[in-house]
Amino acid sequence: MRLSILTGNPSPREALQALLDAAADGIVLVDHAGEIQVFNRSAEMLFGYQAAEIVGRNLGTLMNDPDRAAHDVATRVSDLVGRGRTISARRKDGSVFPAFLSIGAVAGSEPPAFVGFVRDLTAQQQAEQETLRLRERLMHVSRLTTVAEMVSGIAHELNQPLAAIATYAHACDRLIGVAAPDVAEIQDALQRIADQAVRAGSIIHRLRGLGQTDASEYEFADVNAVICELADLIQNDARARGVSYRADLAPNLPLVRMKRAQIQQTVLNLVCNALEALAPPQLQAREVIVRSRLTPTRAVEITVCDNGPGVDSQTVSRMFDPFYTTKADCAGLGLPISRTIVHAHGGSLKYLPEMAAGACFAIQLPA
Amino acid sequence: MNESSALVFIVDDDEAVRNSLRLLLKSVGLGTAVFATAQQFLDAYRPSQPGCLVLDVRMPGMSGMELQQQLNLRGAVIPVIFISGHGDIPMAVAAIQQGAFDFLQKPFRDQDLIDRIQRALIKDQGDRAQLEERARTRERLVSLTPRERQVLELVILGKPNKVMAGDLGVSQRTVEIHRARVMEKMDASSLAQLVRMMLDERSGAPA
Repeated sequence: MRLSILTGNPSPREALQALLDAAADGIVLVDHAGEIQVFNRSAEMLFGYQAAEIVGRNLGTLMNDPDRAAHDVATRVSDLVGRGRTISARRKDGSVFPAFLSIGAVAGSEPPAFVGFVRDLTAQQQAEQETLRLRERLMHVSRLTTVAEMVSGIAHELNQPLAAIATYAHACDRLIGVAAPDVAEIQDALQRIADQAVRAGSIIHRLRGLGQTDASEYEFADVNAVICELADLIQNDARARGVSYRADLAPNLPLVRMKRAQIQQTVLNLVCNALEALAPPQLQAREVIVRSRLTPTRAVEITVCDNGPGVDSQTVSRMFDPFYTTKADCAGLGLPISRTIVHAHGGSLKYLPEMAAGACFAIQLPA
Repeated sequence: MNESSALVFIVDDDEAVRNSLRLLLKSVGLGTAVFATAQQFLDAYRPSQPGCLVLDVRMPGMSGMELQQQLNLRGAVIPVIFISGHGDIPMAVAAIQQGAFDFLQKPFRDQDLIDRIQRALIKDQGDRAQLEERARTRERLVSLTPRERQVLELVILGKPNKVMAGDLGVSQRTVEIHRARVMEKMDASSLAQLVRMMLDERSGAPA
């Protein structure tokens, strides 16, 4: 064959063989019964069979699920023509790899013969999995960052009941030491110590939910409860920044299927953005409001609104692009990750430009 | 508010912290007035009331730091003790730079707070006495004639009568008469006391 090519006069059969062997995809020609007729060099490389040993055997030999392959060939191959699908292919050594199989009918053959093109998807699938893994990791990191930003707020929040407990205890100590102690007053203070210990405990309890990883499962949850669990975190950060925070929640909302931690991350992210938007010192009566409601289309909507300067038109068009940021110390991933999360829940995350003052973002989740 | 005895003003948005502080201070016999917001305190506060202010740094609305600035703008002398959660060290530095009396981290030892409050009340008392003294000095200065005022300025520079007489173009005897009247009107028993009075008057901000 080589010689023929060099002389420039290859026979049609030699030319065909050269084309087959040069193809990057595995090419397999089968007859109507699924018996392999032609097996090119790439196919040899893919499957580990020599053409000589596989020709004459059934196409099912190359499949991880030979019954199904045989069935396809016998009854459905013509349906698959021109479409192709992902299959689980099997090498000579028994190992399995993902492959994309596209099938064409050999024109004029009777009974019909088919040609299959096989592409190894291993690398592509690995890349996809890597992308997915990276994205999950990024989401996790992003949430940790969001949470880390609030850790100082948590510390402060816990400090309040602890300070009150310590102070009440000291006061009791002193009140007991006088000649005629006021027992009722001391009892009241002791009760308040207990109340504050419970308060500290409930802060820790509510924080625990935020430490969960992305491995968390979908659950049916009440959006209002999810928002309430964040109240301590938000309240604190807001307090520290001189912003008043308010939740305006519609009652009796239907439950929403969600990964709780992810939705909380999304809400937190939007609230953090709102708080940052309210940083300019000249702003007055700074306020962040989180609302929930049922939309006319029966989606559960969470809006996060601030009364800051709003978002300029240039930023509006780009703020959901990864790595777009208007902040010096920000990766520009908060909104795109939030949107990815909400989309994964079958919902939407939008900026509401019609709001008169400040910025408003709406998360809609299917009920 | 009771004008005669000192009050400890407590401004903290956390009800439990506020109330526990009130009880602790009551247990050591200190009178308190508690406020949930900085604005409530500002609305109720009269500078004539002696006392000190225990202030939470972080609060919604007007923060502790902003309240301190407001008080500074109004020329209020009340000593401010800030209390705050941990991690507010830069804030503590800023507060002290703006004239805060002290800074305590929550939770704190009761004795630490009580000691600081006692010291703040003593400082407030001293500050107020000094202010009153200054006001008295000013009143006395007003009673001086222009010539007596001239003599006063020269006296506190330490000029002998003879030099003053030359400077003012009057007799030494006349200077002596003016000088005696200055001492009398200013209620100063010695030159040293007069100098101290004037230094103090000039070091204070104009009322």
